[in-house]
Amino acid sequence: MCPYSWDVPGGVQAHVRDLAESLLELGHEVSVLTPVDEPDDAALPAYVVPAGRAVPVPYNGSVARLAFGPLSLTRTRRWLRKGRFDVLHLHEPTVPSLSMIACFAARGPMVATFHTATARSRALQVFGTTLQPGLEKITGRIAVSVAARRVVVEHLGHDAVLIPNGVQVAAFAGATPLPDVPPGPKVVFLGRIDEGRKGLSVLLGALPSLVKQVPDVQVLVAGPGDVDEVREELDPTLADRVHLLGLVSAADKPRVYASGDVYCAPNTHGESFGIVLIEAMAAGTPVVASDLEAFRRVLDDGEAGVLVPVGNSAALADALADLLGDTERRRRLSAAGSRVVQAYDWAHVTRQIVEVYETVAVAAAVELDDTAEDPDVEDFGQEDDPGRVSETLRRWLAVVRERVAP
Amino acid sequence: MSTVAYAVGAVVLLASYITWTAGRLDRMHARVDAAWAALDAQLVRRAAAARALLPLLPAGPEADALEIAASASLDAGEESREVVENDLSRALRAATPLLPAVPDADYAKAELETAATRVGLARSFHNSAVNDTRILRGKRLPRALRLAGRRAMPAFFDVDDTALRPAA
Repeated sequence: MCPYSWDVPGGVQAHVRDLAESLLELGHEVSVLTPVDEPDDAALPAYVVPAGRAVPVPYNGSVARLAFGPLSLTRTRRWLRKGRFDVLHLHEPTVPSLSMIACFAARGPMVATFHTATARSRALQVFGTTLQPGLEKITGRIAVSVAARRVVVEHLGHDAVLIPNGVQVAAFAGATPLPDVPPGPKVVFLGRIDEGRKGLSVLLGALPSLVKQVPDVQVLVAGPGDVDEVREELDPTLADRVHLLGLVSAADKPRVYASGDVYCAPNTHGESFGIVLIEAMAAGTPVVASDLEAFRRVLDDGEAGVLVPVGNSAALADALADLLGDTERRRRLSAAGSRVVQAYDWAHVTRQIVEVYETVAVAAAVELDDTAEDPDVEDFGQEDDPGRVSETLRRWLAVVRERVAP
Repeated sequence: MSTVAYAVGAVVLLASYITWTAGRLDRMHARVDAAWAALDAQLVRRAAAARALLPLLPAGPEADALEIAASASLDAGEESREVVENDLSRALRAATPLLPAVPDADYAKAELETAATRVGLARSFHNSAVNDTRILRGKRLPRALRLAGRRAMPAFFDVDDTALRPAA
């Protein structure tokens, strides 16, 4: 059960996809109900059940594409009724979309994964208590990071089991460097180049000092954003060192990591997990990262990578130069990194999630919480109109009435 | 006239709220029962895994203690369960380092490790169900109207399960 549009790239969607595929590989049956924007797309995997088009809604400071309304409700209910699932796994049940609908509509063994690590969610503060009757039906709760778990504990008053996000380690481990990289020691950066908190400016600020220490150093920068704007701001004497690759395809991403001698994560704040570090370590590239709580945890307190003070270009330049000049230390960090990432490999993460499923699935199968009839709806062609509130209310009232006076 | 309508409306609203809360409580007790059943199953599984270690252990006080603790865990009633399971954890911690390095022992240890992880999960889910139920039962309305009926207040299950995992 995925709350966001399947065909829009995002962390939660990738998590659901990778988990579903790992589960299928283990021989389980999987069905994913999710909003889909392009239902005619033949590229949809067989396990995906489209629940209609999502509506863009401003949520939590950005625009989320959600599905909410009478049609989404009916489709969710139909999917639950037909599926007779042993376990219902909801992702982000606090987001007003399919997962929340299912949370209220179903009963039985339910597992929920909480991804959000936003310390202050206005929606949660306002609706936290309203959601309680639904959320209290969840049997097992999973948080993907310590920060996400803190949100669950503080805002919702529940405990959650910590199971980290997974990474397809094998896809990164065997990656070969990109074909046309320049010679010389290389530092790699991957992330949105126009988003301040990713810290590209810290890395570029470190460049003059770094070039003084390592004259032939090259910097590879991959990630979406306005490439020309970054290029204009570069010091012209250093511009030929910086290779802006723009947005790279998912297939090329492991190769970008593998092209570097050092991976640099100069993020300034707002990281809850540090999946980029795990990907870099999976590709065997040693990491220099800002000393953020999440990064420190992933890097095993500096055992598996170098931590530098946040936002300090001078310290970053020194750390990068040290590491580039020390082959033995790079080799050691790379080996430590490969060990650390095993805990984040999907094979391992999926096993932990299956253990959660098996712990909760001793009860009966998932079923609808009431016996109200649903109208027939077409799979596609109709869309939920966020303005049709009255219709939604009418349907919900029917369900409530049925529950109050059976 | 309108006063009467308002009063009737208020009574209807209150009545539906009470019925709804009672239903909610009912569901939560069912969740606690299911969570306890799951926890019980995992504890039994762990005791069985502990017994599977016995033929592999060298004779001695550790093996004896483990045998007693595992049997006690399988026989224990609900009241003494926490104590008995804590004893089993302790006996396991003492006994597992003595296992010989043979494939059979590795297999039995892996089984025990899985069982112990699941006890941890089941315990966490059980306690969170208990917590949710206790919070709702502690609220004014359910308390005043005794919406929980004669059902016993669900109790937390606390065992030392961080130390359950034998050192790998």
